[in-house]
Amino acid sequence: MVEGPFGIDPVLWAVLRLAIAIVLVIALIMNGALLLIYLERKMQAVMQDRIGPYHVGPFGLLQTFADAIKLIAKEDVRASQTDATFFIAAPALVFSPMLAAFVVVPFAPPIVGADLSIGLLYLTTLGAMGVLGIVIAGWASNNKYALMGGLRSAGQLISYEIPQILSLVTAVLVLGTLSMVEITELQPGPITNIFVLPLAFVTFFMAALAETNRTPFDLPEAESELVAGYLTEYSGMRWGTMLALTEYGNVTIVCAIMTTLWFGGWNGPGVEAFPILGILWFTLKTYAFILVFMWIRATLPRLRIDQLMSFCWKGLIPLTLLNLGVTAALLLAFPDTLVPVAIANWLLLGAFALGLPALQRRRLRRIRARLGAGAMPAPRSAS
Amino acid sequence: MTSAVPLGAFIAVSALLFFIGLGGVLVRRNAVVILMCVELMLNAANLAFVAFSRRFGLVDERGSVFVVFVFVVAAAEVAVGLAIILAAYRNRPTVDVDEIQRMKG
Amino acid sequence: MLQLIEPFMFGLLTVSILGAGLAVVLAPRITTSALAMAFAFLNVAGMFVLLGAETVAAFQVLIYVGAITVLILYGVMFTPQQPRAYGLFFQGQTPWGALLAALVALPVVIVAFTFVDAGVALEPGNDLRPLGTSVFRDFAFPFEVASLLLLAAMIGAIALVRREREIEEPPGAPHDPQRRGPRR
Repeated sequence: MVEGPFGIDPVLWAVLRLAIAIVLVIALIMNGALLLIYLERKMQAVMQDRIGPYHVGPFGLLQTFADAIKLIAKEDVRASQTDATFFIAAPALVFSPMLAAFVVVPFAPPIVGADLSIGLLYLTTLGAMGVLGIVIAGWASNNKYALMGGLRSAGQLISYEIPQILSLVTAVLVLGTLSMVEITELQPGPITNIFVLPLAFVTFFMAALAETNRTPFDLPEAESELVAGYLTEYSGMRWGTMLALTEYGNVTIVCAIMTTLWFGGWNGPGVEAFPILGILWFTLKTYAFILVFMWIRATLPRLRIDQLMSFCWKGLIPLTLLNLGVTAALLLAFPDTLVPVAIANWLLLGAFALGLPALQRRRLRRIRARLGAGAMPAPRSAS
Repeated sequence: MTSAVPLGAFIAVSALLFFIGLGGVLVRRNAVVILMCVELMLNAANLAFVAFSRRFGLVDERGSVFVVFVFVVAAAEVAVGLAIILAAYRNRPTVDVDEIQRMKG
Repeated sequence: MLQLIEPFMFGLLTVSILGAGLAVVLAPRITTSALAMAFAFLNVAGMFVLLGAETVAAFQVLIYVGAITVLILYGVMFTPQQPRAYGLFFQGQTPWGALLAALVALPVVIVAFTFVDAGVALEPGNDLRPLGTSVFRDFAFPFEVASLLLLAAMIGAIALVRREREIEEPPGAPHDPQRRGPRR
């Protein structure tokens, strides 16, 4: 039990600390979501040569606040044939794991909710819990688009959990700890994990894009085929909770994991002197990743569901398994140095980056050859 | 370190949960619900394993290892069980275990 | 005050576990059963945390809530709702069954309640390293066998639900009313 400041009774301090932490995290998620939505719209506008929101407030800054007020004030609509218990439970089931994940995020040396010895495992666990809410939302809506969106989403999330966890395991093998704080403290200098494990980072990044339902993997909410996926029947604040808050909260969590594991977390110039400065570095790094996510959304088209699944099962999972095996073998062979692991990782990354386009080109050539033969082939139905 | 909650209490909860699950298996006729009740029973066993491993005289972590194996068995059981239910449902559109009796002589 | 927190949490978790378990068995609607089951799993994970086994609790949530509940929900979706929820409740053998169950359950529960506490407990937390060591050292062979079991289960499940390639009917052939496929 931690002794509180100003001689506060430890029990009281524990309760007080919990209350403060919850209020802070909810404020963080709400404001973060508002800010991120604004940022996303503005970024996409810039990339697509538009202006973006500019009516409400200076530079349109208050646009998302207006949207949020509209959502909160909206009538609570529930279609009559929906499954009431599940329909109401689903947003909470999606939202609460994301909220709980903030407990172990290391913002700065003095600002960590709880330094769990199983921090990374805890985050993975909460990521897996979100699937339940999405399946339930799809089922409870009693709508075929919602059901298909929910089922697709469940399949996608369960599939992409595997490469995600395998990448994390590779990193943990090198680091030797699951505690987020210890992981951060292990990489103080400019040489962070990214120089040792670039391939694990790239695979984790791709799996994370799928885990957070971001383009090019945002199949569950593919509006051209599924209306809005599992969100079809939701409106008002339930929709806002599920889509805006949860999606951006999850993006923040995933980017925080990447920051901590591969980019040294709160470490940066001046942190030793002023530990609170860690917040600045941590936030900057996390938001850099979030900006990359938005950039990808503005750039890449959406994949088809079969392409999505085959990329995971035939591409990512064998690659991460190979990476894990190679890393483990090299760690056993050279227990003192990480240089062989780093070399192997960079080589594998190079093979992946060059090999994937080559394979794709070969496949395209084969399809073109079949088309050229002229026997009315249908490459789509063949798969 | 002594603890405020005795070991017996954990074991009692485990036993009660096990019997609730057992009652469910015997009483419910829906095959999917029967699977759920089997999962409850496995969970009760897990609780007993962990309680014994953390609180019983010769404290040893190995009880928790058996929980890991129970997880594996539970996952395999649910996958195969649901596959069997779906296959049976495809032959006869029911999941009522009393009505699936074509193999009876 | 501090000594009261643990019994309080224990009581809360006990009520939740037993209530959710009863809901699984007694709920007339199968969807409610599934949700109650997920709730029971979460509370058992809470019990593990109370016992100080954090890692096992994390695995419990990861596997039971994240995977098994989702699988069972798939099962709920693909099968019909049942009109006859509990058939055996009002049959002749109920008193005999209750008597037999009580005969078995009572001694077990009494023994469980009067179990002598050894008075020793492990320090809470930090059970990851001993767990990993025993899985990969002492129980390495059973672990491999377990992975084989998982592989066999996966292949078995796929083989069971795989649809045989149906004989192609000529287009426009009258649909055979005897052949009932799964609900589309």
